Amino acid sequence: MFDRVTRTFERDGQPVPALAEMSFTVREREFVAIVGPSGCGKTTCMRMAAGLEFPTSGSVTVGGRGVTGPGPERAVVFQQFALFPWKTVYENIEFGLRGKGIARGERAERIARQLELMGLRDYGSAYPHQLSGGMQQRVAIARSYVLDPGVLLMDEPFGALDAQTRVVMQEELVKLSRVNPRTVLFITHSVEEAVYLADRVVVMSPRPGRMREVVDVATVRAAEDWDRHERIEDVMDQQSFVRLRTRIWRLLREQQATATEQP
Amino acid sequence: MTAGADRRFRLAIGTATVLALAAIWGVGSAGQWIAPIYFPPPGEVWTAFVQVAVQGYADGMLHQHFLHSCLLVLYGFVAAVAVGVPLGMLMGWSRRAEAILNPAFLLLRPIPPLAWIPLAIVWLGLGDAAKVLVIWFAAFVPSVINSYAGVRSIEPHLLEAARSLGIPRAMLLREVLFPGALPLVFTGLRLSLQACWTTLVAGELIGAITGLGHLLYQGGLDIYPAMILVGMVAVALAGGLMTALLTLLEARAMPWRGR
Repeated sequence: MFDRVTRTFERDGQPVPALAEMSFTVREREFVAIVGPSGCGKTTCMRMAAGLEFPTSGSVTVGGRGVTGPGPERAVVFQQFALFPWKTVYENIEFGLRGKGIARGERAERIARQLELMGLRDYGSAYPHQLSGGMQQRVAIARSYVLDPGVLLMDEPFGALDAQTRVVMQEELVKLSRVNPRTVLFITHSVEEAVYLADRVVVMSPRPGRMREVVDVATVRAAEDWDRHERIEDVMDQQSFVRLRTRIWRLLREQQATATEQP
Repeated sequence: MTAGADRRFRLAIGTATVLALAAIWGVGSAGQWIAPIYFPPPGEVWTAFVQVAVQGYADGMLHQHFLHSCLLVLYGFVAAVAVGVPLGMLMGWSRRAEAILNPAFLLLRPIPPLAWIPLAIVWLGLGDAAKVLVIWFAAFVPSVINSYAGVRSIEPHLLEAARSLGIPRAMLLREVLFPGALPLVFTGLRLSLQACWTTLVAGELIGAITGLGHLLYQGGLDIYPAMILVGMVAVALAGGLMTALLTLLEARAMPWRGR
């Protein structure tokens, strides 16, 4: 939950506002995506929820408690995967469990389930550099999911993947979150991705980042039963999808116009 | 061209160059175009080799010189690495450690290792201890610098990922910091080892009872170029051997870098 969060950076001794009075709440087991132009502070939002950065004013709370630092109950999936190159796929996924002090037997069980779920069963002993980008990001997602975190934070996790792989990963993430709903904060600059994945979409305006509007997707998805479609292109073909997408696009375009009008 | 064919081609070319040089040496010496007093003919070098290997020269047999030099390098190198690598990593990890140690290190860094020789002799005499100390200085600086750079070269998002996974500090040091720094640490070890051999030969030239540098020095006194050449080749072999061992160790230490 973000309450009037403001974050200022300093550049050449000058304060540069990155985020201004940002307030929103992610509900339990809700998938919230933040969209906005680059430099609107959406990654800063995620980093503050992760405890890797802190607000200049205002507060970020998770489960009622203020965020004081990073922790495994708020697992992060980074755009650059951030896998440890010297650890195998298995060891990468195991790392956080060992950090939590979970016994070997339980670790093996949970990792096996996760490898199966992410289609990584035969890759446990591979090193990250032997895998494609899509596979590497699967490992990173498995590494977060295996911790059974209260909150999943994803910072443009598919941004570094090619278009085809991205679509496959998006479809799999939807399946995964239908099977096992989590509280997710998902950062993206892709409107389609946000509408396809999220229950609600937070639209941001450019710097200093402010919340522009929160668009409800879950109600439309349930009413139109998007989940009966297996493929992303079929969902994206729905009138209801197009309408939502257009609405968010307009919001983004409007604020761009106002931003350029300012001196 | 495939990688394999390319490698074979390079190997063939390289062998041809070496053989051509050897042929020039042999023919030039036989034809008296190369003055034997400057560069001895192959036969003389062979005789010198047999002499030092079987009867001994400069107060020792070839293998004694060879082993003695290797041991001195090994002592100095291992001692320098044992101190330098942890120190460099500490400086890379902790801003406070860097603030305390870096000024002293910056002062030490530009001093050429050979400049320590007189002081080492004053402190420890002309024996092996002084040479090990100088070798230690030579190996210490590159060990520290590269271990420091190794820790600093770790991508910040890897450290953030580890923190987000809730990895305790000791585990973070052992399983993220150390392996992350390892590639550059090994670069440092390689440079250290080279510096060790340079320094050893210089140290032994100045005063030694056995060792390859001493062999070279004696060859110079006796105006015996064939023996000098044997000594030079022996130094090259010893250095090459140790570097090869280091490369082997490097591949062992970083299995994830497999080709």
